[in-house]
Amino acid sequence: MENILLEICDLHAAIDGKEILRGVNLTIRAGEIHALMGPNGAGKSTLGAVLAGHPSYQVTGGQVRFKGKDLFAMEPEVRAREGLFLSFQYPVEIPGVSMVNFMRAAVNDKRAYEGKEPLSASDFLRLMREKKQLVEMADKLNNRAVNEGFSGGEKKKNEIFQMAMLEPSLAILDEIDSGLDIDALRIVANGVNRLHREDNACLMVTHYQRLLDYIVPDYVHVLANGRIVRSGSKELAKELEEKGYEWLTNE
Amino acid sequence: MVDERIEAGQTVERLLLNEQGGDMLFRQQKGSTLRLFLFTWDEQTGQSAHTVTVEQEGENCLTEIYALSYLHGSMRHSLRTNVRHKVGKGVSNQIIRFVLTDTAVGEYAGEVILSPGAQQVDARQNNRNLLLSAGTTMRTRPCLEIYADDVKAAHGASLGQLDEQALFYMQQRGLSLGEAREMLVVSFMSECIAPLSDMAERERLMAALHSVIQQG
Repeated sequence: MENILLEICDLHAAIDGKEILRGVNLTIRAGEIHALMGPNGAGKSTLGAVLAGHPSYQVTGGQVRFKGKDLFAMEPEVRAREGLFLSFQYPVEIPGVSMVNFMRAAVNDKRAYEGKEPLSASDFLRLMREKKQLVEMADKLNNRAVNEGFSGGEKKKNEIFQMAMLEPSLAILDEIDSGLDIDALRIVANGVNRLHREDNACLMVTHYQRLLDYIVPDYVHVLANGRIVRSGSKELAKELEEKGYEWLTNE
Repeated sequence: MVDERIEAGQTVERLLLNEQGGDMLFRQQKGSTLRLFLFTWDEQTGQSAHTVTVEQEGENCLTEIYALSYLHGSMRHSLRTNVRHKVGKGVSNQIIRFVLTDTAVGEYAGEVILSPGAQQVDARQNNRNLLLSAGTTMRTRPCLEIYADDVKAAHGASLGQLDEQALFYMQQRGLSLGEAREMLVVSFMSECIAPLSDMAERERLMAALHSVIQQG
């Protein structure tokens, strides 16, 4: 029981009065990698957004415990400081805010939440340098505005870079593979694999089996019509690749 | 009333901080540069009105105007800029930024005139306004009059609010909503402060601005 990071019980959520999640149940333990698959419109991205606290969604039922605490009692930034990370399918461009200022605020806010002193300027820059190498990002990243003018691949690498800086206990990666060429996919996947530890976990939202060749999941779940309709091992992903989703959604 | 002649080849940089208002006229002679910074953010300023007129009387002049108003409480600020290119080969660039919150009222009227002899002029005027609360009022009237045919001229004005998606993205990385807002507002305004040539002055003003935002 102690190593349960996330426990979702009968979660219902809606946007603009339309119910998208209709009773999701999912438990994620430390050390595990989960993949969430499913047809378009099933609610995969909604699940990530709801867990992170996106203000457009309303939780209409159920509960979620994150590291034993009531997730929905926390503001989005508190969830982040507690160690919940959501990589965005479409990372937002923030003109005028440099990566270095943004990350310094994020890292030091988390440290303050944990009762730690802020990092010195030199320690912080050393940390930036070290983590940039993980996703093979250029040195000039520091002074670029957050995601502004980044290519699709750079945006995804930047998400994994930020994940590396913040060392979350649970990372939800929403289509981290979309829009990536093979080289960028390999770099992103290597980054995720190298960040994986016994005390953290990862939930990958993806459409494609291809990503799972690089990041091998312990569990694969299929979300359809707002519910998890099937869970299995990584073999389930291969079965889906062959048969599609219809055989599950028609059941 | 200020009436200042900027002599040929001279470079003048002026900073007007939290002044109640008045009329200013700058007459630029050949090859001169005027860099004017007009900042208004102190609540004590209350109601203020500025009219800035720049006349490029000689060729090859450069005019830069950076106007930044952070209006909070019940502040009211009105700004009028007139940039007159009377001769050719001049360049002018105006960056006008208003940030409004509480029940503040802002007004901007900008006129750029390219006279018949003002060939090969490059004139730009850009006004962006950020409205942080529903009780604010902003009026903007950018205006361009062109009487020469071999010129580049651009102007634009926009009104908007903070990007909700950006705020959520920043919160997801652990920044509080207040901190995220402040970062976005400061970045919006820093466009007018960054061009100041004196680094110490720049840092002093950024610090002053941070404290004004935090109080407001």
